[in-house]
Amino acid sequence: MQIATSREDAALVIAPSGRIDSAGADGLRSALETAASEAEKRVMVDFATVEYISSAGLRALLSGAKAVQTRGGGVVLCGLHLNVREVFDISGFSTVFDTFDDRGAAAAALR
Amino acid sequence: MLRFAEEVLLLILNDEDGRFARVPDWSLSYALAGGVLMDLAFENRIDTDLEKLVLVNAEPVGDNLLDPALADIVGMEDKRDARFWVERTAGWAGEIRERALKRLVERGILEVRDDRFLWVFRSRRYPVMDGKAEREVKLRIMEVLLSDQLPNPRDVVIICLADACGLFRRLLSKSELQSASERIDRVRKLDLIGQATTQAIRDIELSLAVLQQQHSF
Repeated sequence: MQIATSREDAALVIAPSGRIDSAGADGLRSALETAASEAEKRVMVDFATVEYISSAGLRALLSGAKAVQTRGGGVVLCGLHLNVREVFDISGFSTVFDTFDDRGAAAAALR
Repeated sequence: MLRFAEEVLLLILNDEDGRFARVPDWSLSYALAGGVLMDLAFENRIDTDLEKLVLVNAEPVGDNLLDPALADIVGMEDKRDARFWVERTAGWAGEIRERALKRLVERGILEVRDDRFLWVFRSRRYPVMDGKAEREVKLRIMEVLLSDQLPNPRDVVIICLADACGLFRRLLSKSELQSASERIDRVRKLDLIGQATTQAIRDIELSLAVLQQQHSF
């Protein structure tokens, strides 16, 4: 799994790609924890190029997003493909994170 | 840090007399099994998705609560789902319980007292010697339930296991339970092994309810 970071308006965009499983989970957690340590207030995780997420990936997302929230920031998600969305829906992650179709919609909501 | 199985046992102990609260055997067995599997996931030995539980690292953790389950998973060639492993691991929940209790006693958190009833029947109690660990678990649970902040993954697990054993009826007053039920429901789903554990228990309860209904006619 690779992770790209960029900016969309005032939001930090974290864009993982590929599979977020036990091998990739630490990368996502670490990217979110870095955002937390830099006191980022608006963080968007773009799943547009993520094809798979496992329990380890979900835990990394939750743990990293918690770190951002503890420092006063917030995390939103966007670009979830059908198979990834199914995991989010069944695991209830869709109820604890705001999700948007794409970066544009997420950025508009964060403004 | 305590393992989830140890935390569950602390939660079902009555502080006053050191006896276990009445929890259905199957609930406790599945909760202990789920706790062991979730600890293995936190130790990065296994991973799960909606269809299967996979081995990530076969190296023993060096923990006698977790390594037997890990060895079982290592020895299985077929990939099975989390529900299968919760049910299979629950088969030796008695050993998990005894080992977890022994560890809690060795750490000075509980002590063992053997009593005799009518000079014949023996009963064992586990009075709490150091209530700090138990208080911390309860505090973690209450902090999550009383806020709308994201829970951390460890808190998700303990809330899921407490719910699976029906412990919130003991831990919360009726009105607290009523106001926290939506939050409990939302948080407990956030772990896939936790979901498999809860579902296994619900299915048994449903089967028993159907059986009872059939016998009542």
